[in-house]
Amino acid sequence: MSRFRKLTISILIAVMVISLAACGGKKESSSAGGDTSQFVTISFVVLGDKPKNGQFEKVMEKVNAIMKEKINAELQWKWVEWADWQTKYNLLLASGEPVDLVTIGTDWLDTWSNAQRGAFLPLDDLLPKYAPKTWKEIPQEDWAQSKYDGKIVLIPENDYTQWINHGFFYRGDWAKQAGITEPIKDWNTIGKYLQWIKDNKPDVIPYDVQASTSNFGGWVQSYTPHLELPISTGYMPIFNTESYDDRYKVVSPVFEDTFLDFAKLMKDWADKGYWREDVLNNKNDARNALRAGQNGMDSHHTQTFSGLRVQMDKDQPGSELMMYPFSRTSNNLLEMPITHGGVSLGAHSKNPERALMAYDLIRNDKEVYQLINYGMEGVQYDIKDGKRVLPANYNETNDSFYSDFWAGRMDKFEIPSDTTWDKIGTMYDEYDKIKKPYPYGQFVFDKTAIESELTAISQVTGEMGPAISYGKAGDPAQAVQEYRDKLKLAGYDKVIAELQRQLDAYKAQMDSADTK
Amino acid sequence: MDTAKSIPAVRVKNSKRKHFRNSRVLLLMCLPAIVFFCIFAYLPMPGLYLAFVKYNYTDGIFSSPFVGWDNFKFLIITGDLWRLTFNTVAYNIAFIVLGNIAQITVAILLNEIRKKWFKKISQTLMFLPYFISAVLIGLLAYNILSYDYGLLNGILRSLHLDPVKAYSEPHLWPFIIVITYLWQTTGYGSIVYFAAIMGLDSEIVEASEIDGANAFQRIIYIVLPWLKPTFIILLLFSLGGILKGNFGLFFNLVGANNTALYASTDIIETYVFRSLMTNFNFSMGSAVSLYQSVFGFIVVLTANWIVKKVSPENSLF
Repeated sequence: MSRFRKLTISILIAVMVISLAACGGKKESSSAGGDTSQFVTISFVVLGDKPKNGQFEKVMEKVNAIMKEKINAELQWKWVEWADWQTKYNLLLASGEPVDLVTIGTDWLDTWSNAQRGAFLPLDDLLPKYAPKTWKEIPQEDWAQSKYDGKIVLIPENDYTQWINHGFFYRGDWAKQAGITEPIKDWNTIGKYLQWIKDNKPDVIPYDVQASTSNFGGWVQSYTPHLELPISTGYMPIFNTESYDDRYKVVSPVFEDTFLDFAKLMKDWADKGYWREDVLNNKNDARNALRAGQNGMDSHHTQTFSGLRVQMDKDQPGSELMMYPFSRTSNNLLEMPITHGGVSLGAHSKNPERALMAYDLIRNDKEVYQLINYGMEGVQYDIKDGKRVLPANYNETNDSFYSDFWAGRMDKFEIPSDTTWDKIGTMYDEYDKIKKPYPYGQFVFDKTAIESELTAISQVTGEMGPAISYGKAGDPAQAVQEYRDKLKLAGYDKVIAELQRQLDAYKAQMDSADTK
Repeated sequence: MDTAKSIPAVRVKNSKRKHFRNSRVLLLMCLPAIVFFCIFAYLPMPGLYLAFVKYNYTDGIFSSPFVGWDNFKFLIITGDLWRLTFNTVAYNIAFIVLGNIAQITVAILLNEIRKKWFKKISQTLMFLPYFISAVLIGLLAYNILSYDYGLLNGILRSLHLDPVKAYSEPHLWPFIIVITYLWQTTGYGSIVYFAAIMGLDSEIVEASEIDGANAFQRIIYIVLPWLKPTFIILLLFSLGGILKGNFGLFFNLVGANNTALYASTDIIETYVFRSLMTNFNFSMGSAVSLYQSVFGFIVVLTANWIVKKVSPENSLF
């Protein structure tokens, strides 16, 4: 063998060995112990676009002055920007980067799967010592909902009132002109409202929607007693449970007549031109169009509505924006899971102790809390009659501030704001009357056995869901049948059997907890 | 064309050491490429093992549990693999064949243009689309093809013709996609051929002119045969990626949600994007890329084997 060839081969071998070593190597945690003698920086992963006007840095300077004094550390926000956030967030956790605090959400940030992949540090031993206030304040039953595999992996946002149940936002002024005087209670009346816009407002698209999300979940909430399970099947939820009373029985609304009804109604809406012909490729932002008076309807959750109503009163005076929550039709409404927001510690965190100490401060120190959530008094807000109002010389571009801290807000430190609709309480009252406790807080779905099938199902929902949801799949009956066949092929039966098995086990677990 | 001449020299049986010393400079010039491939092609190769494990973050690639072919299952369950492979290969064949024909044609035409300033300007203009991002191309296409507000339908309506529902007609899309691809890449791709034509010995051309060959004869008997080796090399290179779709182009032209068009526009990349975006499974992603690479590898070997049979001097190895 020539020397040259030997040389190249040995280089190649060396390269491979190095790469193997690099992949297999484990990091050692350089724990600094419980003492705070060494100054450290704590990173906090949050979702949102990094603020650019410098106010955030000014606020953090104040926060960090307190942090330095109390625990000899500083906080640093690590923004996961909205563009492609899902990928970036998961990738950040997968990369093994030593992040400390991480915003989580079991129903939207795929927290249980990430816990299953080992992205988070177990907190049982750390909490009582390093976050004693938080540890004491959160009741045991809430901690029970924060466990994966018997270990606490997250701190829930358990003490904050918010409603993220979805619904349609429509204009009260136009509804009145259309002869709809009562608050809308069902989808047919929504149809009537859209038809009126179609007939009377030639420059307005009745419902300028994008096809990136389906309204089928809302339909199910309106017309069945089914409950949504915290299991992602991509574009459209496939697996629900029968009802609150029969909450451990898995069903699939897609395989019931209700799905065909939905498909037919959406085909009808599409044919009547309530949305664009090119709805599947539409990129126009419905909310902006609504605010500009070019769109008659939008859909999102109550929290969004409470802010949007105030903006609409400014942008389109007299528009009287109303919300039809999907729950109104058949009073099918669950409370929010307390793990919709919360915080976890990254598995590779270098300073888990100090990170928890910092978190304990954010959550329990009024000054730090309000700085992080509202900014500086006098710059970002003034207090008037117990409400936050914008200061007289406030300038949106230069002074606006947000920190996107959704990882443990506390009702007791919240100051009401004049940018929230002052009658939002009426909606909360409506919800409080019908709400039922969230039953799946401790249900952690183990996907191991059916991962391939679940992936295939997600693909099918993405492949056929949008066209059916927006009436662009031709004959509804035929499209629905084809969709069901494809789901079956993708392993629907296997998944539903496995899901039922796990829910049975969960039922046994909950029943035994009740009798204790 | 110096490098081309030096290749036969490599084959001369000589003392290897002497040969190594003689080509030191050449090897040094190759070094950046060698380093590049080591880092970006060979170094990540052990990572392919990822396709056979159930990956979790704490155990890492090599300690996660081995699951055999499980990660490939989701591609096969619904029977979509055949359709996807067909679409991907068919589009790529169209891209390669039509692309090369267009590029060669443009290169020859440019070569025939005598006015220097015109040649320069047209070359630059054809170059431009290559630098436009796929996102913008998708947007441009939407503004042309949109039913309610598109340019195309605006023109059709003003001519009292029926507007086209482009975004609900799957059979139109192979044409739209191929045309967009050609528009984008022809100018850029023609450079290689143009450069090859520049290397053509002008004495041969002059001799043929003296012998009375007209422009067409000159192209058919001199220029095209001269371009053959370049064509074969480019062909072999592009065949390797025959199962790799142009994700940016397809995703942005068709959009993430336009399921009505999937029958004719769904390729492996867009399918995988849809399947794995919500579940974020590395192992399944690796499984797909392994499938694509192995398939491409086999295609290249086969193509090279055929080339070797047909015209041995043009084969890669």
